[in-house]
Amino acid sequence: MNFLSKKSYIAWYFVIPVVFIHLFVIGIPSILSLALCLTDWSGLGKINYVGFENFIELFDDRYFKKAIFHNILWTIIFLTVPVCIALMCAYLLTGIKRGQMFYRLAFFFPYMLASVVNCQIWKYLFHPIHGLGGFFESIGIEALASSPFTTKETSLYAAAFVDGWHFWGFLVVIYLTGMYQVDNHLYEAADIEGASKFQKFRYITLPMIRPIFIFSLMIIIIWSVPVFDYVYILTGGGPAYSSEVVANYLYTHAFVRFNVGYASAVGTLMFIYVIFIVGIFGLLRKLGWEI
Amino acid sequence: MIKTIISFVSAIILSVSFSAFSKTKVTWSMESNADRDPIFLEKLQNAYNSAQDKYELEIQFEPNETRIESLRTSMLAGMGPDIVETPGPSYVKEYQEAGMLENLDSYAAEFGWKDKLIPWAYSSGVFDGSLYAIPKTHESMVMLYNKTLFEENGWKVPTTLEELEDVAGKIKAKGMDVYTYGSSGWQPTHEHLVGIYLNNYAGPQAVYEAITGEREWTDPVFIEALELLKRHMVDEGWWSGSLENYYAIGWDDFHAQFATRGAAMMTIGTWTFQATSLGIGQSGDEWGWAPLPSLSSNSGGPNFMIAIGTTMSVNAAAKNKDGAIDVLNWIMSNKDVVIDIASDFQFGEFVVPLLLDDSDIPSTISPQVTSYLNEYARITGEGNYGYCTWTFWPAEPGVHIWKDMEVVWAGDISVEDFMYDHQKMWDKARKKNETLPVPLRD
Repeated sequence: MNFLSKKSYIAWYFVIPVVFIHLFVIGIPSILSLALCLTDWSGLGKINYVGFENFIELFDDRYFKKAIFHNILWTIIFLTVPVCIALMCAYLLTGIKRGQMFYRLAFFFPYMLASVVNCQIWKYLFHPIHGLGGFFESIGIEALASSPFTTKETSLYAAAFVDGWHFWGFLVVIYLTGMYQVDNHLYEAADIEGASKFQKFRYITLPMIRPIFIFSLMIIIIWSVPVFDYVYILTGGGPAYSSEVVANYLYTHAFVRFNVGYASAVGTLMFIYVIFIVGIFGLLRKLGWEI
Repeated sequence: MIKTIISFVSAIILSVSFSAFSKTKVTWSMESNADRDPIFLEKLQNAYNSAQDKYELEIQFEPNETRIESLRTSMLAGMGPDIVETPGPSYVKEYQEAGMLENLDSYAAEFGWKDKLIPWAYSSGVFDGSLYAIPKTHESMVMLYNKTLFEENGWKVPTTLEELEDVAGKIKAKGMDVYTYGSSGWQPTHEHLVGIYLNNYAGPQAVYEAITGEREWTDPVFIEALELLKRHMVDEGWWSGSLENYYAIGWDDFHAQFATRGAAMMTIGTWTFQATSLGIGQSGDEWGWAPLPSLSSNSGGPNFMIAIGTTMSVNAAAKNKDGAIDVLNWIMSNKDVVIDIASDFQFGEFVVPLLLDDSDIPSTISPQVTSYLNEYARITGEGNYGYCTWTFWPAEPGVHIWKDMEVVWAGDISVEDFMYDHQKMWDKARKKNETLPVPLRD
């Protein structure tokens, strides 16, 4: 029994409650969900084993393919637009001595608001009667009279814009934290060498915050897989699946169409994809990348 | 003297406590609505509790968005409320198939429920030959119009496609939208319009044949119906001015548009009567209603689409099964209670399909609603009724008919391809015995 009181086990005792909670709330439902992907369960009643039928159907499902394409597009948008803006703003903020806290708060504020609040604000803003749509119509600009959330060509980008607007402040804060940890002597040496502001950013700041930067890219790639709330509230995946994403597709099948088996197959593919991404980052770390 | 008072008060407290504790609780999870909840509490829960000493009804309100899922979870866990309220027969079918609902046959026979309910409404709760659900409310689709506006302009209320297209042109010329309606907040709104076009273009008989498998959904008459809807929706922008606006407008918006003459007409279900009366009543205009126009010679004249709004069943795992049955029987045995509550909602909610006479309709409800109730009874009594999708379509085709209609309106697929997919879903549902009860036509 002595081994139980060894110091190295003490940390384990403290994490046991969390492990139990995770096991019951996440572990067991996840395993059950993986099992359900091989059934035609409706969410109630009998469960029939159907083998890989759900997957065969999924690979032939044009709306599922569309949802995957939208998730990829979403990931690319988030890996570029908010990241670039956040990097630039964080870097500019390091040069502001007075009133910096105001900017930090202002940028971070949308991140603190609930997604449903953010969405309602933007929905009302672009409302065709009460919002900007009504205004543009009244001054004769018909092209801007419709809400971008209900226009097929713009709905995905509009939802991504609102989510990005709420998210980029978070990136500013983590990039800023990284930038404050950079040794000031490096900048002083660069100043002596006559480096420009851009050169200091390119050759000092960016390499020095690389672990945080790569981490931010990793979480963006992973978080772009289950993206749901902004799409669900703003567009519902429509119109005509023009903003459909995989998580919303899963939700519709599980809770609206009573296709829990099929939805579980979608969930399984999402799970495999996330494991793959995490695996790649783990591999890169093992190969000595500073991430 | 003090002792006497104390004894008296104690006796009262004891008797009250005893009566409260002696009652067994009956639970009912009900769809929440800020305007309706107080009325249900006062006129249903409290009235029932005062009317007898055996059971204590407790209604728990929750918005439908979360209630449907939490109900399913609790039922799966063998728990759930004693009275199970669902949004329609397709949900009842799921619970019934899973053995989670009580078979009500013996109670229906004992209390004579079949004789109290409208026959088609009773049969909507019969699955595999047994009764599992009682409609909590039944409804239909109608066309509302701004009567004052129509009179001012000398417009005729349309009854045919030609008349409808004629008046639509005149309305648009005045700078108004033909109809106001929208799907923001409730995407299945599309199915209201699809149902209207299927029933009023192809006709109820053709829809009945397709539901029962005697006709394919790929039949040209259905394709023409949905092509016409697409033309009116996308090309003509009849609903709220454009397809994009229709998607962006919600319940409050379209009522405001109707009340402020932003649009001349509205295609909507009878659940709107209370909101319409209140909304347009403030503007000073008068509203009217009419059956939906016949859109082709196939439709066979005006008809009312029949639909069940919500249903009431008894949980097979109910803690108080007898109490739940008693509540349902009390509702069906007290016509006055049902009429009183339905009147508060202008017969837009809690219209339990009891057999009523003209004399049952109270004078307190608006003349428009009174005339609707009379016309509805007359026309459906003659067998001229159509079928609403949310009552007669199985779960998967029921979602397809509204969710994927957007794809047709977007021009991504043709109506023919859409109906081909739809037929495949019906075939699948039929194979899995997922079809819902449908009343026989004469």
